[in-house]
Amino acid sequence: MSPTGRIVVVGDGVVGRRSVRALGGPTVVERRAGRTRWITDGLAPGDVVVLATPAPHAPAAAELGARGVSVVSVGDDLADTVELLELDDRFRAEGASLVVGAAMSPGLSGLLARHLASQLAVADEVHVAVHATAGAACARQHHRALRGRSLNWRDEGWVERPAGSGRELAWFPEPVGARDCYRAELSDPVLLHRAFPEAGRITARMSATRRDRLTARLPMLRAPHPEGGIGALRVEVRGADAVGRRETLVVGVAEFVGAITAGVVTAFAATLAGRAPGIAIPDGVVLAADAALPTRSLLGAVAATGVRLQEFTGVPHA
Amino acid sequence: MRLLRRIFVAVFLAGFSAAIMRLRGTGGTPPQHGGWKPLELADDPPASPEPSG
Repeated sequence: MSPTGRIVVVGDGVVGRRSVRALGGPTVVERRAGRTRWITDGLAPGDVVVLATPAPHAPAAAELGARGVSVVSVGDDLADTVELLELDDRFRAEGASLVVGAAMSPGLSGLLARHLASQLAVADEVHVAVHATAGAACARQHHRALRGRSLNWRDEGWVERPAGSGRELAWFPEPVGARDCYRAELSDPVLLHRAFPEAGRITARMSATRRDRLTARLPMLRAPHPEGGIGALRVEVRGADAVGRRETLVVGVAEFVGAITAGVVTAFAATLAGRAPGIAIPDGVVLAADAALPTRSLLGAVAATGVRLQEFTGVPHA
Repeated sequence: MRLLRRIFVAVFLAGFSAAIMRLRGTGGTPPQHGGWKPLELADDPPASPEPSG
């Protein structure tokens, strides 16, 4: 595939606007409305489309893949993610790439998990915690996620539990600090399990207040905010080093969720469009935690957009 | 009157016990060490996969 350098961002929300701003430069960046007919209009093989609309993304991605257009999806809806994963053959046949989960979680969570796992001889546990949302669509997804069923991987099997259960106190970088996090219907464990099939435990939790949990099964009582406050991500990888000593590595981010997602979108879209010399992304379905990706270069590209990646320096004790 | 006195004593004892546990307990102290520092990627070896297609 010879990249044409054309990037189209679909979606007019917080993530779409921030992505257009972050992607600015010599490459053509367009912003379009979210209907498939308008998305595909005038696109050619080698172009890159960023889907930053509410779920579902799978129908649009399938149509774009059939035209040889690479797709970057920021979606985190579990059912939609599973459908996107089934499009591997279609994209591979057309020599295009489909990045599934290019947001904060999933997305940056996978890049950071892979980065941490690369420092260990064996990585057998991956735990992700997220706090806050980007725009209104993200807030609605957060609301839905708290009333669904959570999937976490434990000892060679999926453990299904009600969302909103399993409280854990997670420490995020400042200014977010400590937040109570709960199980939720998140897609991160599904994607991380594909990237880390050897890991015995994979969990994802998100922060929520008492009101969030109490009202999760009701319609949203008031319109969601245009953009949430400072959000955060925490990724913890446990494993063993070369001599068998147990290690726990923790990294995190505390920024506006929209800014973090725009940073991840920029890293993937710019690389797919050939704007990052020397690195490339494979054809077919691509996950942020894939070992085949140039993880450090992508993390460097995310950091270059202003996202401050941080590592925990203390010794975490229970 | 006797019942009221018993209630006052019970409330006082409960409050006193709670105050002792709150002040002398050891379960709720947040970590006093560790912190966050910028993640350094500069020393990592450059990734150079084969270009796709």
